[in-house]
Amino acid sequence: MTSLFTFLFLLFAAVAQAISSSGSRLLVVLEDVAEKTQYSKFLGDLEGRGFQVSYETPKSESLSLFHLGERSYDHILFFPTKAKGLGPNLTANLLIKFINADGNILLALSAQKQAPTAVIAALSELDIHLPSERTGLVVDHFNYDVTSAAEKHDVLLLPTPGALRPGVKDFFSPATPNGELLAVPQAIGQVLGNGELLTPVLRAPSTAYSYNPKEEAEALGDDLFAAGKQLSLVTTVQARNSARLTVLGSADMLSDQWFDAKVQKVGGKAAVATVNREFAKRVTGWTFNEIGVLRVNWIEHHLNEEGQGNQSNPKIYRIKNDVTYSISMSEYEWDHWAAFKVPASDDLQLEFSMLSPFHRLSLKPTVSSEESTTYSTNFKLPDQHGIFNFKINHKRPFFNNIEEKNTVSVRHFAHDEWPRSYAISGAWPWIAGIGATVTGWSFFVAIWLFSKPTGKGESKKTR
Amino acid sequence: MAPKKSQTKDASAAAPVVTTGTTASAVPAVSAPSKKPSSAAVAAKSSDAWSSVATNILSHYQKTTPQRTKLIDLFMAFLVVVGGLQFVYCVVAGNYPFNAFLSGFSATVGQFVLTASLRIQTTEANKADFPSVSPERAFADYVVGSLILHFFCVNFIN
Repeated sequence: MTSLFTFLFLLFAAVAQAISSSGSRLLVVLEDVAEKTQYSKFLGDLEGRGFQVSYETPKSESLSLFHLGERSYDHILFFPTKAKGLGPNLTANLLIKFINADGNILLALSAQKQAPTAVIAALSELDIHLPSERTGLVVDHFNYDVTSAAEKHDVLLLPTPGALRPGVKDFFSPATPNGELLAVPQAIGQVLGNGELLTPVLRAPSTAYSYNPKEEAEALGDDLFAAGKQLSLVTTVQARNSARLTVLGSADMLSDQWFDAKVQKVGGKAAVATVNREFAKRVTGWTFNEIGVLRVNWIEHHLNEEGQGNQSNPKIYRIKNDVTYSISMSEYEWDHWAAFKVPASDDLQLEFSMLSPFHRLSLKPTVSSEESTTYSTNFKLPDQHGIFNFKINHKRPFFNNIEEKNTVSVRHFAHDEWPRSYAISGAWPWIAGIGATVTGWSFFVAIWLFSKPTGKGESKKTR
Repeated sequence: MAPKKSQTKDASAAAPVVTTGTTASAVPAVSAPSKKPSSAAVAAKSSDAWSSVATNILSHYQKTTPQRTKLIDLFMAFLVVVGGLQFVYCVVAGNYPFNAFLSGFSATVGQFVLTASLRIQTTEANKADFPSVSPERAFADYVVGSLILHFFCVNFIN
């Protein structure tokens, strides 16, 4: 009976844990709470993953991101709204403050509804730029969906994005065994600045461009907002505090209609299903800290020399000591902590630094369990005494920033730690030199003392 | 000062006498049987002159130097040889470990300097410069100084 209770308790604990690594309170901001039926599958998925979803409209007076200086929600999800502004409870300043307080934001925009000024102001602070007049529609005459946008060409069909570049883990590409495509209907493209914190997830194909459907319906103007790969359809920002913000160019991607749609690319042979649902899961999962979250479990360093004490994390080392450094790391995967594996062609590096690094070494995985991987390295401390740091500075796209610093003193050799001269064969000639001098001197003194005869008389005489 | 003056006078007076003596007697004795061409005779003459100077200085040294000063000179020559060997070894084989070279080499140099001081203080000619230092006192100073030097060198070579 007790075992049954324990089992139930553990099961409950496991279920309760099946949420984001940084809290489960999710605020969904909609124009009208009734709109959520459009996104029922998407929101149902979020609730199924353990998020406590609250729905609010921008007009709601009870809406407040902070309560007594603390965040009221862990994550915010914005759906497009009609109003020009988002009201006094959701100003750009408050959104930035929310990010600074480690809150995550997912912004779903749409070309059909103008982006609110608060959102535009917040995004421009992050160096993400939206088309002027707050509207812009991305069209592509080579990658559109034949069934739904044969005329307007504004439903883009794209393959899954793949890894950003070699050495970066691919979080956002669901498996597509049957050539499923990503449908991006009525998207608004973003142009990114040069910020290091910005990472595009999904870029428009090179044949796409953005135009203003109201002003440029007949003919394109001279000044195109952006075209081709300049346009980012899904953009992520990870602030220095590892808070995440994702801009989704097309809110319709998340709707039930496009989760289930069959699409056919222009020139495609047959209609295929969309992978929007899986892609949406991954985008929200990343944004709301369900994937791509790293944790340092422990750090340990010790002397790696025979006949020496094996104390953990000593405060002081000597120059030229052999030292072992180990760090245990885990990665959060949807609902549990798993072993962190560094992507191929990437490295976890340790710096041994005083002002600037004296060593920058790759850590190798040594012990791997289900929940963690231990990375470690052995190295000889530099021939320089002072205050040093063991420093891990791991900043990679889509992973939260890891910055760990352990300070130790490195002393010089004590007087009795140098090898004796006779232990070094190179010193023997000079030892012999000293020996010859001393023996010669002894003989000299002895002869001097026993040979007084002639001089004495003379000296006495002169005295 | 008086003995010094007299010594230099003696030397200057003795030198011409000796040189004339050698030119007269030694040159024909040595060069006549071995060197026939007259062109080489000049060189042979000069070399003989130099060697006669050397032998003259040597005999003068052996005659006028007290035995203890000779002992000091022998010891100093020994130190120069030992120090020279160590220095040559350092140049040829490298100076690792440097502290060993420093202490080995400076032991000979220091010992040489101390011995030179002993020689200056015990020479009869310098008596007037050190009226308060007897040879026994000078020797005692020398022994103490040398022991300190040896201690430092052995300590430094580790």
